[in-house]
Amino acid sequence: MRYAFMIAVIVGASSSACLANALISPGPHAAIAQSRLSATPDGQWNRLSRRDGKNVELWTLDGDSLNKVTFFGGIPVGKPLLREIDKNNRPLPKVMSNMLITDIPALLESTYRSQFSVNQIQIETQEPALLDGNKGIRFTYAFTRADDEVLRKGEGIGAMVGGQLYLVTYEAPSLYFFEKDLEKFHKLITTLKL
Amino acid sequence: MKLRAFALMALTGFATLQPARAAQDAFQLPPYAHAYEPQTVDERGQWMEADERERQIRDCPLRIREGNLETYLRAVLCREVGQDRCAGVRVYAMEIPKFNASMMANGAMDVWSGLLLRVRNEAELAAVLGHEFAHFELRHGLNRFKTQRGTSDAMAWISVLGGISNTPVGSANLSLLGSVYRFGRDQESQADLLGLKYLANSGYPAGSASLVWQSLMAEEDASALGRKQKPKQKYTAGFFDSHPASFERAARLAQEAAKLPAGGDARAKEFQEAVAPYLPRFLTAQVKLNDFGGSEYILSNLSQRSGWTGDLLFARAELHRARATPRDLQLASQFYRDAKGAGYSNPDLDRNLGLSLLRNGQTEEGRAALSSYLTAYPDASDAKAINALLAN
Repeated sequence: MRYAFMIAVIVGASSSACLANALISPGPHAAIAQSRLSATPDGQWNRLSRRDGKNVELWTLDGDSLNKVTFFGGIPVGKPLLREIDKNNRPLPKVMSNMLITDIPALLESTYRSQFSVNQIQIETQEPALLDGNKGIRFTYAFTRADDEVLRKGEGIGAMVGGQLYLVTYEAPSLYFFEKDLEKFHKLITTLKL
Repeated sequence: MKLRAFALMALTGFATLQPARAAQDAFQLPPYAHAYEPQTVDERGQWMEADERERQIRDCPLRIREGNLETYLRAVLCREVGQDRCAGVRVYAMEIPKFNASMMANGAMDVWSGLLLRVRNEAELAAVLGHEFAHFELRHGLNRFKTQRGTSDAMAWISVLGGISNTPVGSANLSLLGSVYRFGRDQESQADLLGLKYLANSGYPAGSASLVWQSLMAEEDASALGRKQKPKQKYTAGFFDSHPASFERAARLAQEAAKLPAGGDARAKEFQEAVAPYLPRFLTAQVKLNDFGGSEYILSNLSQRSGWTGDLLFARAELHRARATPRDLQLASQFYRDAKGAGYSNPDLDRNLGLSLLRNGQTEEGRAALSSYLTAYPDASDAKAINALLAN
């Protein structure tokens, strides 16, 4: 009896929306990363249940180690991009109000170095871009995480809007996967609205 | 701090009262076998794992292959423990900005770049390498391995839990594997003593080992203060700590070193020359770790060795620009200009100076610096973004 109850609790918990990965169907999606960010994908994506931070949402096609789109939706001043694993010994750099557009990729780099023990990361191209009409930056980068030592490439678009950082990145292994889905990411970011 | 200094003085003072014991066992090193092959089931298994891990390290993208760094590190070890002992050792330099070096049962040693950024001369480097070599020579890994087979079970469990919670477990696996090579407190003490003998035997000052630990303690305190936390140093070893508390260790190393011949040249110049080509990238990695206090401590440590060179001033400017309070931005601009005066010639300097000025509201000066960056480096990968900042 008690077991039946426990199983019911477990099944109930895992089937609730907050714990499950979800299918993102083509069409408009609002309130991405619990923010006013919205997008209109023209194909299917998967939204991961895992949250790496309060205003962080992850989309993927084949699993986040193969292709990952991360939405940072309105990270306020004084907050880090991701949830801090070890606040005392490995605090993350925080969003600051006086950041220039070139400080956005620098913030991502410093965050990755602390959070994921990324010891090799290069910010490559940086050029101005508009995020739904707001002046921002579009940049590419390459990095290797200490845990799997796979060389990944990344591309991001970000802007400070109303004192909050909006940033959307795409990351995938440089071998095969990055090129495979890059076009889908490019299409996706043209539909971003704030 | 006072307590620590007093206790160190007291212990070293006490030790110098009994110099008669000094020479007796100072140079008795344990016997060793050339081209040793593992003997037992446990040892063969451990060597097999070590061989596999060495293969991973050898092919790791973080390995510093360029230049003569690995050759130099091996030469330091050989100089310390003797050519015959080091003949079978492989040394790998890894670009990881943390203080660490370790040696596996099969005679492979990995040295992290964070160690090279922190030690101030060849003798301090040799003290750490000698300590790790002592673990190897005393076969501490094997004794530990026999009592710690449980680690493998823990690894299996973590893989399962990692699968459920979807947290990357790769690094946890590595660190658990590392724990096979992590040693007990008594083994650490034995390795410390043998390491000191190697130091004294090779003519490096035996006091260097104690200095390494004192400097590490000071850095941890600086790091904590930079994060507005209380200094973390514990001055006694906790029950579950595998390493003796740094304080206890520094004091005991100083005490034991006083019994040995004082030693000669710490070879600061040779060390500096060997590390110089890699210093800028080691500094860049350190500065981006978001550890203002610790990084500042390391920089001031380095400046005591070489004075404030262009590289060090540039790194200092980067450190302040990253923290980016108005005071920091002002200091950063100053340090960039000082770095230029001290001969730092990379065009990055003008860009970062310009960004720092711009962020601090000094628009005209900032634009001038950014313009000269673009003039020197028109095809830079960030030229378009910099141009956009100029146009705003």
